[in-house]
Amino acid sequence: MNKKSSKTSSSNENYSHLELFNLGKIFFKEKKFIDFRSKGNRSGFEAIKDINLKIEKNTFVSIIGPSGCGKSTLLNLIAGLQAPTSGKIVIDGQAIKGPGPDRGVIFQNYALMPWLTTIQNIEFALNTVFPAKTKADVKERARKYLRMVGLEKASNKFPKELSGGMKQRVAIARALSINPNMLLMDEPFGALDALTRSYLQDELLSIWRKNKVTVVLITHSIEEALLLSDKIVLMSSGPSAIISEEISVDLERPRDREKIEQDPKYLKIKMRLEKHLLRETRAVEEVT
Amino acid sequence: MNKAISTRLTFAVAILSLLIFIILWQVIAQQGLLVKNFPGSFKTIGSLIWWVSDPFFDNGPNDLGIGTNLLISLRRVLIGYSLAVLVAVPLGVLMGMSKLAQSSLNPYVQLLKPVSPLAWLPVGLFVFRNSEITGIFVIFITSIWPTLINTAFGVASINPDYLRVSKSLGASKSTTIRRVILPAIMPNILAGMRISMGTAWLVIVAAEMLLGTGIGYFIWNEWNNLSLENIFVAIIIIGFTGFILDQFFGFLQDKFDYSI
Ligand SMILES: Nc1ncnc2c1ncn2[C@@H]1O[C@H](COP(=O)(O)OP(=O)(O)OP(=O)(O)O)[C@@H](O)[C@H]1O
Ligand SMILES: [Mg+2]
Repeated sequence: MNKKSSKTSSSNENYSHLELFNLGKIFFKEKKFIDFRSKGNRSGFEAIKDINLKIEKNTFVSIIGPSGCGKSTLLNLIAGLQAPTSGKIVIDGQAIKGPGPDRGVIFQNYALMPWLTTIQNIEFALNTVFPAKTKADVKERARKYLRMVGLEKASNKFPKELSGGMKQRVAIARALSINPNMLLMDEPFGALDALTRSYLQDELLSIWRKNKVTVVLITHSIEEALLLSDKIVLMSSGPSAIISEEISVDLERPRDREKIEQDPKYLKIKMRLEKHLLRETRAVEEVT
Repeated sequence: MNKAISTRLTFAVAILSLLIFIILWQVIAQQGLLVKNFPGSFKTIGSLIWWVSDPFFDNGPNDLGIGTNLLISLRRVLIGYSLAVLVAVPLGVLMGMSKLAQSSLNPYVQLLKPVSPLAWLPVGLFVFRNSEITGIFVIFITSIWPTLINTAFGVASINPDYLRVSKSLGASKSTTIRRVILPAIMPNILAGMRISMGTAWLVIVAAEMLLGTGIGYFIWNEWNNLSLENIFVAIIIIGFTGFILDQFFGFLQDKFDYSI
């Protein structure tokens, strides 16, 4: 945790944790060896364009948008898994060139390696990011993060023996174990039942409070975004999706999921989000 | 309880059908219903017992025990097959990962794969001037294609999530290959290896008829002796060995089955 304190001491510079400048991504069709249609189809598909966004250190930001608008694309760009077609991504004042262990990524379908046990999945991440660490160190650290998500007992189980919620907790532990300063999550709770989801949301919040990480969360759920975020970023419908609005959620923390729904501020933002999503989804439907 | 009864029942049915088969065979042969002098099941079982009771004698290349011949064949298969796997897996990974490797190698694979490996036998004899190495060479060619193709397919169809995780952690290419790609495609590699082994075991019998020694040559030799019952003995032994080899890979495949 020393790393964190040194980070905060240098964080009063005048840049945000994450800055996106005119970010755009066009998917070009892969060239086939023999492609008869190639003449007409050179243009490609513009998923997102002109994305400008600033995210402050240790804040919790959610991204919401209609299905297929390019949320995952945006997250993959920030993670460095894909290269943008235009624009740039700046983290702590430095343009990124690719993926890095400063960003922990949590994928929608858990993405655990099925041939590794729970603890081995975390050890894989640790060994990759900290090759100098000893075996015992790695094991100890992996245990610590499994404990953190309450899965110490399942450490020798294989992913196929775990429930969806447990798998997602392993994925969270894996992403956190490398001590990232940014957590990128792509609809992490989308596939879970309501109870497990709210349980994991609370867990995520407490982890976020304790670990001081910047979280970028992609979600379909307005309630989830409102419950968790400091800021909600609304994306327009694709193709060529843009950021249509940024909404600050200045609701007091800790937020109680029962009481919050009576808060007039909450209701106001919720209505605004619903209206936006409805409008953008309708736009999608009219296009297709 | 139900399961115990049903396994016992299956076992009983299997024994019964075997008995019926043996008796029918004996009756048909005895009555000369097929051709004259066709060996009956009793005679064949007698030879089988004779060969199996002393399997490892060696009275020169034309008079080897059936176990000795079997070991000669197995040795050729194992060497040629292992060499093939050692070549096919890395080459398959390369083909699966690189478009360039894929498009430059695939035409050869597609062209050579449908050729009977026996066509390579004269080539081997001409180049190596040695029947032992030629046998190994023919098995090598036989075994390479299924493992190569399955490996390349496995890499090409690997779950992109695994690669994304690896990439997001900043893993090097070699780490990704060793710790992610190879374990992920283990089921594909094993499926390929199983088919390769099956084909190799088919081909060795035919190849050895032309090479001298080995279980295939044993058959050829007994044909020259007009001893059909000994040929049946060899068929039973070959089938049984092939079955054991296949079961071994089935066992490995179960071990590396990651699915739910
Ligand atoms: N590799 C790719 N090649 C071509 N087109 C792609 C590729 N990846 C995504 N797209 C397209 O880009 C658009 C945005 O995709 P993306 O997965 O980012 O949407 P999303 O907002 O995450 O959708 P969802 O809410 O369904 O997860 C889609 O129209 C999709 O078809
Ligand atoms: Mg998505």
